[in-house]
Amino acid sequence: MKENTYTSSAKMTPFRKPSPVVDIGLFLLVVAGLSVLMFRGTKTLGYNWQWYQIPRYILSLEQGKLVAGPLIKGLMVTFQITGVSLVLSFCFGLLTAIMRLSASFAARGIARVYLELVRNTPLLVQLFFIYFVLGPIMGIGRFTCAVLALSLFEGAYASEIFRAGIVSIHFGQWEAAHSLGLSKLQTYRYIILPQAIRRILPALTSQAVSLIKDSALVSTIAVYDLTMRGQEIVAETYLAFEVWFTVAAIYLAVTVTLSVIINMMESKLKVVS
Amino acid sequence: MYEKTQGEYIIVVDKINKTFPNGVRALRDFSIKVRKREVLVVIGPSGSGKSTFLRCLNGLEEIDSGSIVIDGIPLDQRKENRLEIRKEVGMVFQSFNLFPHLTVLENVNLAQMLVRKKSKKEATETSMELLHKVGIPEKARTFPNHLSGGQQQRVAIARALAMKPKVMLFDEATSALDPEMIGEVLEVMKSLAKEGMTMVVVSHEMGFAREVSDRVVFMEDGAIVEEGTAEQVFGNPKQERTRLFLSQIL
Ligand SMILES: Nc1ncnc2c1ncn2[C@@H]1O[C@H](COP(=O)(O)OP(=O)(O)OP(=O)(O)O)[C@@H](O)[C@H]1O
Ligand SMILES: [Mg+2]
Repeated sequence: MKENTYTSSAKMTPFRKPSPVVDIGLFLLVVAGLSVLMFRGTKTLGYNWQWYQIPRYILSLEQGKLVAGPLIKGLMVTFQITGVSLVLSFCFGLLTAIMRLSASFAARGIARVYLELVRNTPLLVQLFFIYFVLGPIMGIGRFTCAVLALSLFEGAYASEIFRAGIVSIHFGQWEAAHSLGLSKLQTYRYIILPQAIRRILPALTSQAVSLIKDSALVSTIAVYDLTMRGQEIVAETYLAFEVWFTVAAIYLAVTVTLSVIINMMESKLKVVS
Repeated sequence: MYEKTQGEYIIVVDKINKTFPNGVRALRDFSIKVRKREVLVVIGPSGSGKSTFLRCLNGLEEIDSGSIVIDGIPLDQRKENRLEIRKEVGMVFQSFNLFPHLTVLENVNLAQMLVRKKSKKEATETSMELLHKVGIPEKARTFPNHLSGGQQQRVAIARALAMKPKVMLFDEATSALDPEMIGEVLEVMKSLAKEGMTMVVVSHEMGFAREVSDRVVFMEDGAIVEEGTAEQVFGNPKQERTRLFLSQIL
């Protein structure tokens, strides 16, 4: 009973599944085709692949000890930024969702202004605005600016997800809680959110994945994340192809791992419908 | 019977009016008084305002004018009064409205712990007693959607009783049930009535009304048309409209 994974779209078509042999054969054909194209393309460019250079940027052996290379150090910064931003963006998102659903005109107004501002300007501009304008005014460093920009941006989108989850819960739940004497806050905390979050977990996961990807933009304000480290190495070595392949693969590995973990958590939570 | 005919009023509703934003006038100068330990059954055609009346009693709907006083506490704009009334008035819904992410026991425990500030141990003791009373202690660790409709409604009754309310409201508590499950829920409601719980019951179950109600009220278009004992209203209705309605539901 997984409705939100990629596999479900295949089930929706009334056609029979192709046989696995044909299916895998097709897949290999496409991969082979792309590889040939790639190979011929780089050949005509006369590109000299130097993959052997790459491992030391990931890990190196120094005096019998494994030492993290610049790419791994960058990845750690990316983790720090996305980790903090993720928590903050969910807080902003939840708060904004609750404000938009509140009876207070002021709360709804503030939420509305925040959402419109964030959704109708580019993330890069928001990042620059926070770093170059708010940063000096409020005396905050580039790491904080990066986190603030990312969490405000992703929070606006998360709030839509939270809102959809909250309004999807049947009003009978509110009425039952009301008649038992629960406060509004208690109703959110113990009745509505636990049910809503189960429903929106897939959407929140894609939000987290977006956050990881969007975090690459912080390299533009010289935060030494994975992307910035990549740029640095390319500038030094001119190994553009190898380095960007590697950086992309690292992002991919992280986001796929995250999706898989959350999928597993989800199927555990699904015990209760 | 002395107490029920002479006892003090626990619900005093005076000339309340309720008009919904869409212009529907659900209650018109509606007044009623209910004594302690009384069982009041409300009947009437669909849209006559029965649910709206019940929902006004615990503040689920706001009234436009008039006044409601429950156990001496006026249901006004004061937050502490509204909360007090929500605690003292239990409600059972047609659609059960159990919390699907919590077990039966947790459903019954929750408000005791959050609102009455009981420890988990104390709450569980009360809950298990109540689950015994409604006849399903063995389902304590089950989730609501593994229960039949009748069992779910009995859990919902136990959950409301766990707050030790002074008044219980039932809004068509058996209408969503398969016929074979109606009896088990009515039994629980009857035993509650016999224990002396003050109850306002919206229901067309005549057997229940005849057996345990002290008074039956027939309402139409947001106002009371006729009231009396079950025998009077069902057996010998004075108003033509009551007669017509009864002939339709029989
Ligand atoms: N939230 C609402 N918004 C608008 N109109 C409403 C609302 N709730 C009820 N009404 C209207 O108010 C009138 C009274 O409704 P109410 O639910 O109290 O009737 P009822 O006697 O309980 O009917 P039923 O037997 O169908 O449950 C109806 O005309 C209904 O359409
Ligand atoms: Mg109704």
